[in-house]
Amino acid sequence: MKKGLFLSLLVLAVAMGLLMGPFAGGVAAKAKEIKIGVIYPLSGAFAAAGRDLRNGAELALDVLNNRYAELGISIAKWEGIPSLKGAKIKLIFADHRGEPGRGADLAKRLIMDEKVVGLMGCYHSSVTKTVSAVAERYGVPMINGSSTSPVLTKRGFKWFWRTTPHDETFTKDLFEFLKGLTEGKVRGVKAVPKEEIKRIAYACENTEWGSSVAKVIEQMAKEYGFDVVKGILYSAKSPDLTTESQALVAAKPDCMLFASYISDAILFVRTLKSMKASPKVVWGQDAGFEIPDFRATLGKDVHGILTRTVFIPKVVKVKKAAGKINALFKKRYGTDLTGASGRAFVALQTWAHVLNAAGSTDPKAIQKAANELFIPAKELIMPWGGVKFDKTGQNVLGTGLIGQYQAKGGKVELEIVYPFDLATADMVYPFTTWK
Amino acid sequence: MVLADAFIQGILMGFLFALISLGLTIIFGVMDIVNFAHGEFLMLGMYTAYCLSISLGVDPLVTLPLCGAVGALLGLVSYYGLVRYLLRGPMVAQLLGTFGLMLFLRYLAVFLWGIDYRMIKKGLLVGKSLTIGPFHLDMTKVVCALLSLVAFTVVSWIIFKTRVGKALRATSINREAASYMGIKTERMNALAWAMGGITVGIAGGLLANFYYIYPMVGLLFVMIAFATVALGGFGSIKGAFFAGILIGILETVFPIIGHLLKTSIIGPHYKMTIVYLAYFLVVVFRPRGLFGWEQ
Repeated sequence: MKKGLFLSLLVLAVAMGLLMGPFAGGVAAKAKEIKIGVIYPLSGAFAAAGRDLRNGAELALDVLNNRYAELGISIAKWEGIPSLKGAKIKLIFADHRGEPGRGADLAKRLIMDEKVVGLMGCYHSSVTKTVSAVAERYGVPMINGSSTSPVLTKRGFKWFWRTTPHDETFTKDLFEFLKGLTEGKVRGVKAVPKEEIKRIAYACENTEWGSSVAKVIEQMAKEYGFDVVKGILYSAKSPDLTTESQALVAAKPDCMLFASYISDAILFVRTLKSMKASPKVVWGQDAGFEIPDFRATLGKDVHGILTRTVFIPKVVKVKKAAGKINALFKKRYGTDLTGASGRAFVALQTWAHVLNAAGSTDPKAIQKAANELFIPAKELIMPWGGVKFDKTGQNVLGTGLIGQYQAKGGKVELEIVYPFDLATADMVYPFTTWK
Repeated sequence: MVLADAFIQGILMGFLFALISLGLTIIFGVMDIVNFAHGEFLMLGMYTAYCLSISLGVDPLVTLPLCGAVGALLGLVSYYGLVRYLLRGPMVAQLLGTFGLMLFLRYLAVFLWGIDYRMIKKGLLVGKSLTIGPFHLDMTKVVCALLSLVAFTVVSWIIFKTRVGKALRATSINREAASYMGIKTERMNALAWAMGGITVGIAGGLLANFYYIYPMVGLLFVMIAFATVALGGFGSIKGAFFAGILIGILETVFPIIGHLLKTSIIGPHYKMTIVYLAYFLVVVFRPRGLFGWEQ
């Protein structure tokens, strides 16, 4: 019997080795191609997000390499990188499965074996952290589209740029929103007394991203005068979130805040509903709360949940380019663009602009071009002021949105509720869906 | 009050963990083989419930016997199609064989259903809660606990009270001697795989009522099942039952203690640590597990 146990452990170890599979899509090189390594979570628990990201990047690639003049953005007219004689970008996808160590190995292999010009990815802040460290060591430029841990651009890196706003911006948005709620600024809701929404509880997953969100929430809550009555860090790969949910409910919070990936987000909603939790505001920090599977899986149980995001299909009302690209995306992949796919699109678009400005694939030229880059708002599908990096590599023109899921006649729509002047519907308040 | 609530929730989860581990321990008990594909059997049980619920609109509770049947079929096909041949090879071949089966089934599911998360939205129990006093219990978990109890009773009865069970136990203790006594050990092995398949198939059908479904879902549960089986004693049915419940309680009560003491050192982020710590301690101080046989 003991032998069996020993062997089972041995096999587990072997299993982990075996799981280190090959690249998702490496093909032999051709001339006049600019290779960009894209490291996403393409299999395992985060595969649904990975697919969404990949779709966004591939659509941007298609728009760049082929002619789509009707879209009205520059890369759609380029058919390659103009300053490099129309050279085409080629994406080499690799699958990090949400594991930071694996991401770093893949980055090394992409740089050494595939000789990529630059890197893109990785969605999980924890993986972006290790991958960008490898890129920094080899002096290979990396553009990050959707990792939002604030720390990433505070490390003094010279080869790392981030197009998305980070969690400080997003969390600030939330507290501005809550403040607006007490001042009667939210569309369709009369001013709510602050006492009614003062008690805050959060549950954040315990890797780089979630724990940085937790810190920012603590700090902002203090600044805005809210009470954090419970804070939980939990493992996103947990088979059961009963305890976590219980601890949240026991603290009797008015607002429940989450930083969750997809499977844990689904599990939280299900478990909290079975406990008839009754917070007045439920807010998710993007990621799991924003992936199409979240709404598709849970249906009406998400009615009233808020999610911070950077893209909501309703922004087409204010952004023309977004409408056309969203239509193209939907036709091809069957879903609307999301914050994940939208930002993957923008990240590749940024790569194209940087390469064009550099006029070379030399890392130094790319570095210079990235530092001086400016992409105006009208080029973007995001409701941002544009793309312009500060000294740390952070895009300073990015902004966030807060959306609310609203069930209307069997369909669940994501409506904009913040910024207040972009609101597309009256907010549902208070949250009563799980009672 | 919070503690009592956590305790009850823990016991309910424990029944589920126990039910999932039951099949694993039966197969190990009879054949000394660890079925790495166990989690995938569970996953396929879940997909069975899901597909029937979507295509026929049948309540996932009604389809439980079918999930069991699919599990049994899987067990038998795995045994006659693969494991029987593996037995001729060295121990490592046996282990790697079921590991290969795990990968095959997992990616078969990716091929058939894709990587999307799915969930059963309609059903007698789906989303219902049972309110007793201050406690809100998930209906599906309550039913799951009851059925787990039934499954353990039935399996124990078969193994300890029937002639077939006697033959199973004989095979488990000494295969050669059993075959000299005229027991068809091959058939006993197949029976163990079928029983393992049925119980885990049913567990999958139950789990589908309240858990999301995707091809890698088995991994989450099978890790706990391994710990449960090792904790209770490899091959011990009683062990799987009590170890399952113990793990459920440890997992839910431990973090709540932290909540009550208002310290973040004891919190949900360590809940699995405490489970595996218990497992580690048992392995070190009592290698045969809580209820395992002495060698």
